[in-house]
Amino acid sequence: MTVFDIAIVGGGPAGLAAAERTLAAGLSTCVIDEQQRPGGQILRQPPSAFSVPGWLTGAPYRKGRALLANVSDDAKLHWLGGQSVLGITPDPAGETGFTLALSGTMGGVSEVRAKRVLVAGGCYDMPVALPGWTLPGVMSAGAVQTLVKAQQVLPGQRIVLFGTHPLMIVLAKQIIEAGGQVEAVCFAQSLKRMAKAALAHLPRAIATPAPLIAAAGGMAALRRAGVRIRYAAPVLRCEGEGQGGVEQVVIAGPNGEEALACDLAAMCYGFLPQADLVRQAGAGVRWSRPAGGWEAVHDGAMRSTVPGLYVAGETTGVAGSDAAMAEGAIAGLAIAQDAGALNEREAATAMRGPRSARKAMQGFIGLLRAVADPCPWLPAASAETLLCRCEDIAAGAVDRAIADALSVGPSFGASAIKLRCRAGMGLCQGRSCEHALVRRIAAARGCGEGEVEGFRPRFPARPLAIADLLEDAG
Amino acid sequence: MMTGETSNFDILIVGGGLVGCASAWHLARLGLKVLVAERGHLNAGASGQNAGSLHFQIERRFLEQGEKAAADGARIVTLNRLAIEEWRGIEDMLSRPLDVAMHGGLMVAETEEQMALLAFKVARENELGLSTQVLDRAQLRERAPSLSPHLAGAAWLAEEGHANPRILVDAFAEGAGEQGAQIRTGIALTALSMARDGTYRAVLSGPDGEMRVRTPRVLLASGHWVPRLAGMLGLNVPLYAAPLMMSVTDRTEPVLPYLIQHVGARLSMKQTEDGNLLIGGGWPSRLARRADGTPDLDRPATVEMKNLRANLAVAARVMPGLAQRSLLRTWTGTTCISADQLPIVGEIPAAPGLFVAAGGSLFTLGPVLARLLARTIVEGSPPEELSMFLPRRFAHLDAFAVLP
Repeated sequence: MTVFDIAIVGGGPAGLAAAERTLAAGLSTCVIDEQQRPGGQILRQPPSAFSVPGWLTGAPYRKGRALLANVSDDAKLHWLGGQSVLGITPDPAGETGFTLALSGTMGGVSEVRAKRVLVAGGCYDMPVALPGWTLPGVMSAGAVQTLVKAQQVLPGQRIVLFGTHPLMIVLAKQIIEAGGQVEAVCFAQSLKRMAKAALAHLPRAIATPAPLIAAAGGMAALRRAGVRIRYAAPVLRCEGEGQGGVEQVVIAGPNGEEALACDLAAMCYGFLPQADLVRQAGAGVRWSRPAGGWEAVHDGAMRSTVPGLYVAGETTGVAGSDAAMAEGAIAGLAIAQDAGALNEREAATAMRGPRSARKAMQGFIGLLRAVADPCPWLPAASAETLLCRCEDIAAGAVDRAIADALSVGPSFGASAIKLRCRAGMGLCQGRSCEHALVRRIAAARGCGEGEVEGFRPRFPARPLAIADLLEDAG
Repeated sequence: MMTGETSNFDILIVGGGLVGCASAWHLARLGLKVLVAERGHLNAGASGQNAGSLHFQIERRFLEQGEKAAADGARIVTLNRLAIEEWRGIEDMLSRPLDVAMHGGLMVAETEEQMALLAFKVARENELGLSTQVLDRAQLRERAPSLSPHLAGAAWLAEEGHANPRILVDAFAEGAGEQGAQIRTGIALTALSMARDGTYRAVLSGPDGEMRVRTPRVLLASGHWVPRLAGMLGLNVPLYAAPLMMSVTDRTEPVLPYLIQHVGARLSMKQTEDGNLLIGGGWPSRLARRADGTPDLDRPATVEMKNLRANLAVAARVMPGLAQRSLLRTWTGTTCISADQLPIVGEIPAAPGLFVAAGGSLFTLGPVLARLLARTIVEGSPPEELSMFLPRRFAHLDAFAVLP
């Protein structure tokens, strides 16, 4: 079996930026991604059979598109698209490296070996359980964006966006440009509060003005299109009769409850880092701020706590694609250095650029995190609201399991609750409900979320057709 | 948690798994002042990681090691018969549903040689009072139509089945707590010694500090960690870590009411109340290792891909419909085996007052062993049923121990 110098999990901005550096250093490099084509979520490409004029032409995408073009054209890049990484196993003692188990659209389970692995898995939308969230037509903002960006499909005609994250502005603009109608954008927090959080970070954020300008441009575009942006408008529940799906979202308005009619409601409370593989490999993670989930910890050169395993981009905390590109470049250089392709001085010199770029962004990232912090605004689930929608486990049942566990002792984590009530045992393997369980356990135990042990991520990281595993069993 | 002061208990039970919590349940009811100390959380080890089989036929692992081992293995049948009674009454005993399903079990054979082995096994079992019977190809087909038609036959035992390992230990722990047992999680045994008067001194450490315990009796019920803890007293308990893998599929309609085992290959398979298919059978995972190559029992074992493929291949050969399902999760768990494959249960001769209970198959056997062990502890001598499992068969290993 070929042993790559470096296997990069994730072909988004971080993974591509790292590949650019490892290829330049002459390392044999493969990039694995669940999408067929490189780009990640931010530059999610339409299928190659599509012809999409004016695909992501805006200024915020320019840098990423240049990187995408540069790396995708590199003949030395070993691109493994349409493949999920199911497992990561450190090689037995005495050898250095990892074996990754992959499954993909071609069927079967294959293995890739590499001396080093970079996990640049990005992030995913945080699902928030509120009454009615499992109705057809209630989606995550990221899912809507994927359909609009890559598939050129509008999943609804009258769309309400709700949550706390300013990405809603970007998405609303994209929906309008695609010919859709945005009924309202509902921020749970007040404009005053957002402005206060923004002002506190503005002096540092101004160092990288581009995203601020883009945000202001987005707001102006929405105003021109007559889209109503509501502040201090927290959504209490989604409602719909029978099988038809969502018909309205109910917000707590200034004069009591108010119903907004829609046929699609997209929630946007923030994003959770993809760190399943990092955790499977036993590397250190910590509770991510502000939204939650687990982010990989790393040193100044993006090395995780497991030797030979590197992390970059949203896997280390959600900070946007520019930060991901800078971190990917640093990781790629560190990998080249650790592989002996660059000496310490060369690596340090080359890291200077991406490091200072990454540092300059910290002001804007702080601003965005302060403005978008969902924690004070997470809607309350009722006892009947499903927290685990794979296994149909309601919040009330989870809370009973937590109370039972608490009566025995305070040291339990998410797995203990999973064992008691099946929450997190289904097809999504806990990716959707783990953060909610951790929050509830922390509240019950009276401790920080970071002190609660999460689920133990298991092989396979994605559900796997058993027929695929049997193919070459002989 | 108290620091500095010493608490007195009638018994300290180390390990909050099935054996520890079930023993606590019995002993608390018998009036002892019990402390259970669990390093992590309850049911975190093999008790919660096993796949919940209730198997009472002689296991394949005894049959594959030659006739001597098969004869030894046969002796466990007496205990298995008691275990059947224990499981029949356990939901009443604990006053709650535990997903106990005793709808029968099949140990299948694919070849005529395997059928001959089944016949040998069934004859031994019948002699010892276990009512297994051989089903031929047609009888098996009639009983279990979802299994492959190529199977040559099976041994059938009506009492086999499965129970839910996720909730059993909680049931024992909560019941023990109601009877006055103290159950502490998040505290590890960090020191254990015998005082001159023959009682034990234990130090339990957790994030909030230390707890000191004085007790005339200690029960080590910590699975594959028993040798390490017994080592604190310089004692040798010949138990060896056995890292295994279990797999679970997505839920499906009821297709398999029975526990399935295989006489010629490592396999256990059944369907849970919730509809998931659970697959295992003793396929090894890979123990984590330290840099120097020694096993690291504190880190989870990792999935061994070729064994997983082989495990699922056997399962799909026995039940072809399995290939249509999705694998949700493969997890590893570490049980242990003893030097002679039989559990080690009872008092250590070199250390009066020190009891151990570990050694494999302890989901099926745990509840009945806990009952027998509690009798041993209260009555001061073991009941006859426990005689073949007593640690005294390994007393030669402690011939050079110095205690106190």
